[in-house]
Amino acid sequence: MPREMTYAHAIGEAMAEEMERDPRVYLWGEDVGVYRGAMGVTAGLLERLGPKRIIDTPLSETFIAGAAVGAAITGLRPIAELMYSDFIMVAGDEVVNKAGKWRWMHGGLFTLPIVFRLPEGVAGGGGPEHGQSPEAFLWQAPGLKIVIPSTPADAKGLLKSAIRDDNPVCFFEHRGLYRTRGMIPDGEHLVPIGKADIRREGTDVTVVAWSLMVHRALEAAEELAKEGVSVEVVDPRGLRPLDLDAILTSLEKTGRLVFVHEAPKSGGPAAEIIALIAEQALDLLAAPIKRVTAPDTPIPMSIRMEPFYVPQTQQIVAAIKEALEG
Amino acid sequence: MATKEQLKGFYDTMVRVMLWENTLMRMVDEGKVSGFYHPGRGQEACPVGGVAAMGPEDYLMYSHRGCGYQIARGLSMTKIFGDFFSTTIGTTRGLGAGIVHHAAPELGILGQSGTIGGCFPIAAGAAFSAKYRETDQVCVCFFGDCTSNRGTFHESVNASAAWKLPVVWFCENNLYGVSSKFADMSGNPRIVDRAIGYGIPGVEVDGFDPEAVYEVTAEAIARARRGEGPTLIEAHTYRFRGHGYGDSQPYRTKEEVQEWMKKDPVPRLGARLIAEGLATQEELDAVHVRAQKEVDDAVEEALKAPFPPDERLFEDVYA
Repeated sequence: MPREMTYAHAIGEAMAEEMERDPRVYLWGEDVGVYRGAMGVTAGLLERLGPKRIIDTPLSETFIAGAAVGAAITGLRPIAELMYSDFIMVAGDEVVNKAGKWRWMHGGLFTLPIVFRLPEGVAGGGGPEHGQSPEAFLWQAPGLKIVIPSTPADAKGLLKSAIRDDNPVCFFEHRGLYRTRGMIPDGEHLVPIGKADIRREGTDVTVVAWSLMVHRALEAAEELAKEGVSVEVVDPRGLRPLDLDAILTSLEKTGRLVFVHEAPKSGGPAAEIIALIAEQALDLLAAPIKRVTAPDTPIPMSIRMEPFYVPQTQQIVAAIKEALEG
Repeated sequence: MATKEQLKGFYDTMVRVMLWENTLMRMVDEGKVSGFYHPGRGQEACPVGGVAAMGPEDYLMYSHRGCGYQIARGLSMTKIFGDFFSTTIGTTRGLGAGIVHHAAPELGILGQSGTIGGCFPIAAGAAFSAKYRETDQVCVCFFGDCTSNRGTFHESVNASAAWKLPVVWFCENNLYGVSSKFADMSGNPRIVDRAIGYGIPGVEVDGFDPEAVYEVTAEAIARARRGEGPTLIEAHTYRFRGHGYGDSQPYRTKEEVQEWMKKDPVPRLGARLIAEGLATQEELDAVHVRAQKEVDDAVEEALKAPFPPDERLFEDVYA
């Protein structure tokens, strides 16, 4: 029977199942053991798998990320949790230059099966250093896969695929999604990395969104449906590998495109996808592309100001209408 | 105590390392080498004595100075030259590697971080892996004095101490990081004292004496293998050449260098072998002749190999 569970629980279950399947898989990070992780994601893992597999580290991000590289090139399959994805800047050299390039730099002699678990996103007062969505940073780092689930089922299925992948995978989890619920398919549930999901079918305009923004895009689509507008929502479920074909297939149908992401606009992930479309499929566009993103400012710590920073459903509705008029 | 055979072996390997570098330096001058090179002349006793103490299954994180570690560990000179010449015979099969990025998993040579100090977390991770897999492998990580001022050093040595990881932190203190004196850049010029702060043993050794280096490293490895955790070794040494190609060395005097060169580990061990009746001058001369031939043959073979097609760039980015 399919079961309903939270996004956080789905992530915990994916890790537990993979650790039970493969003794080389372990998890480490700050406070992932008895404390159950900063957001409760690792609840029950210590009891289920023991202290050899569920490891509290010192407050040392370069160690967490870099030692995972050392463990991976000597035969283990680490899951390294950074408490916030913002901390990837602290461990930038380890993630970008070591995990991403070690195999290539050393003639293909090593594999690096590492999952970096990266809780991202604005979710209640985290502010400028505990709430970013830095996936575009990593797009400039060849060698790293970038995976971003938006539902509990995808969180579980993509994380299991990431753990089985022989490449380093940066796995973004939106902190604002941890408590959301969804159905998880029964049995061995794997979701392939690099394959988009059409979250809602439509014919008038394509909205590309991922992570928490998928849900806002779906709300906008629902609202516009009442006005007779048919919106297709494409969730690429990650950036590398990018399922550009899915986006282009949708665009062929609609001719109109809106991007929604929580990262700031300049140099954000949408910019690169738009560039690819401009290079490959400019003739498919019936109207200018719209972007709904965070502004180019740091994230406010004030929860009163957060909704001004993060794209809201009504902004997406407005952007879709502009795309239709353009 | 090293055996007589080991002492002769140290001499042989130091000469090979020295002559390999002399030849590489000439080829740098001739413009045949891509990538950076940081000469290790003068410091040969550290890689040669230290690596000799390692077991066949142990892991090596080599330092950015000279290629003595790789040569002492058994990586063929041909492959190393191949990396410097960017021919397909190198360990990177033509991508090129300078002072870093040679690797040989079958020898436990794990490669090296281009950003200096990136070695520390990786070495700690390899040691963690050995402990996790319940092998008795040890990771030996060589690094320079000024590299120990990276934050990665603190995070990694601390974690290795907290978890008693089987790793040996081997610092070659040659007094300088490029042009900066370690003593000017550090509150305490004694690196070995840092061991106290981490609650691990710290040992000093004469970095010009391969036998002494071998002994302290062997003891640290044995301790790590027994599950008693890491050791910090500080070897006192000096580099006779500049930091890299084109270093005019304005930060030190010729007199200072000449004074240190009196400690040259190669003639020093040679003189000892003769004094103790372990070798004759003729035998030592023969070591040099054999080593130079090995170097010359390796150069020839490495140069003979082809360059890879440009498409090589796209291989191995992903598994």
